[in-house]
Amino acid sequence: MTGAAPPEPVIELTDIVTRFGSKTVHDGISLSIYRGEIFAVVGGSGSGKSTLMREAVMLHQPTAGSVRLFGEEVARLGEIASLPLRRRVGVMFQYGALFSDMTVLENVGMPLREHTTLDRGLISEIAGIKLSLAGLDPSVGSLYPSELSGGMRKRAAMARAIALDPELLVLDEPGSGLDPVSAAALDELIVNLRDLLGLTIVMITHDMASVRRISDRAAFLGNGKLLALGHWAELAASGDSRVRDFFQERPEHQDA
Amino acid sequence: MTRSKTRAQTCTPASVEPLGDGHRALGTWTAFGLGNMATDLGLGDVQRATLSLHDIDRLDTTGAWLVRRAQQTFAERGGELTVNGTQDQQTLLAMVGEHQASPEALEPPPDPGFVEEIGRDTFAIINKYLTFLAFIGRLTFTAVRVAFMPRNWRWRTVIRGIEEAGFDALPTGGVRSFLLGLVISYQGGVLMRQYGAGIFIADLVGLAMLRELSPLITAIIVAGRTGSAYTAEIATMKVTEEVDALRTLGVAPLEALALPKFFALLVALPLLTVFADFMGVLGGMFMANSLLDISFASFVQRLSESVSLSSFLIGIGKAPVFAIMIAAVGCYQGFEASSGAEQVGRHTTMSVVHSIFLVIVVDAIFSIAFSKVGI
Repeated sequence: MTGAAPPEPVIELTDIVTRFGSKTVHDGISLSIYRGEIFAVVGGSGSGKSTLMREAVMLHQPTAGSVRLFGEEVARLGEIASLPLRRRVGVMFQYGALFSDMTVLENVGMPLREHTTLDRGLISEIAGIKLSLAGLDPSVGSLYPSELSGGMRKRAAMARAIALDPELLVLDEPGSGLDPVSAAALDELIVNLRDLLGLTIVMITHDMASVRRISDRAAFLGNGKLLALGHWAELAASGDSRVRDFFQERPEHQDA
Repeated sequence: MTRSKTRAQTCTPASVEPLGDGHRALGTWTAFGLGNMATDLGLGDVQRATLSLHDIDRLDTTGAWLVRRAQQTFAERGGELTVNGTQDQQTLLAMVGEHQASPEALEPPPDPGFVEEIGRDTFAIINKYLTFLAFIGRLTFTAVRVAFMPRNWRWRTVIRGIEEAGFDALPTGGVRSFLLGLVISYQGGVLMRQYGAGIFIADLVGLAMLRELSPLITAIIVAGRTGSAYTAEIATMKVTEEVDALRTLGVAPLEALALPKFFALLVALPLLTVFADFMGVLGGMFMANSLLDISFASFVQRLSESVSLSSFLIGIGKAPVFAIMIAAVGCYQGFEASSGAEQVGRHTTMSVVHSIFLVIVVDAIFSIAFSKVGI
């Protein structure tokens, strides 16, 4: 995806400030994420990674600053006007957020039933493909979310997030709760989706192995600021010890 | 404008048209563009066909699956569909084919037969009564155990519970009882005036409110207001594993969650009933005054002559029984929830329905029992 065409920003964040009460989570963060990138958002717990991504996909309004999604200023859009834009974004939530009163297959097919005029049989078949793409056996489709393990729930959520082949896929902690082999398979899936469908993928993660394996660029958040931005190798060699430590110490901790 | 914007706006319906001796696909081959595409892609019932994907705007997995499926249909009847496209398109087609699920895997679970369903439901109902009894047993056991451990009495929680279930319900409860007294007094008063028996309105209002209506209506309102809150709270905690967390921390969930609610309601409901008695009689008295010209003084005097202390005590005596039932059903339904938001809603509904039903049944039993005994 490193074509000659000028990079087209999918998400543009400019001077984002977020405050919860007196607590400042983001203190002027600016960054752009380009089409076709696999972008990792890294940072310590509580550094506002998830909040920043929630702001990027219109789930939360920043205190100040501008969010542009697919070139459109999000703050000016009303609830109705934002719907077509939301349809182009798939989000996998940290805990899956599967609808508990639907089977897994119904969960995955739900966006297709809501937004397209395809017939039901075809929708189930496509949902089955998405489940398989996310690494689940399609036979789990008849189960309810409460009957799944944590890792399976995550994969089912992934399948639902890619149901409409969104242009932008936001993954909140995709690898957490998965064994290393499954996490690697999920990474492979993410790369495949990007290559075949031209998706832009943003992942919020603590899994440095995954960042090394697949990310094109990474942003490091800390103290409400963007501490570093670039390829992970640049971050690992950063002059800022907070950033460097994160990249170097992790593997040892993971073995423990 | 940006490329992405034009792409999103020009979602032209997917179509297939003949080209030379083959076919070519046009339009947007995505979930949004393929709405009206026939599953045979409009190629008809032929043995061999060629489809070119070079001229479409975009192919997503939905489009790829439709093409792939058509290829399989051709193959099944011994024919062949040749698809020409870019390398990326071919890879996508291959990927979709690789991940397709067997039709059996996508079948919804078989519907149990009519007889099986009756059996299952019967078993579920019996089981529900048994688990409810077991819950009452465990709760009693916990109460007895905690009774000997004053250190474990959760005074704060109980007092806050009394405030929420009792004090906070005073305004609505008071207005409701006042209006009820007003209505009874009006309906009765119109009738009694015809017989010149106006002063008996005090008997009617007093007995009806104190003996029957105040305890019953208060219990029903509390079941809807507080019982449902108990269920929703405990069910949510159950679903989010907070109940399990309590257990692992060595705290008995029944002791921490159910018992304080029990005692709070045991205190709050009788007090609310007394307040409802007072407001109901007040309402009746106002109506008697304006409709029948009965002075407040004579109303109160008549009330004290006609309504015995036992009538008042019978009414108040029912309140703790109702409180126990409401709290038991509310907590039980909460602990029964297993997973998911939908369960919280369902058990909250069941909690209100069951506790109101129980309150009315028990009230009827009380009435029959009292009339047999003659009080």
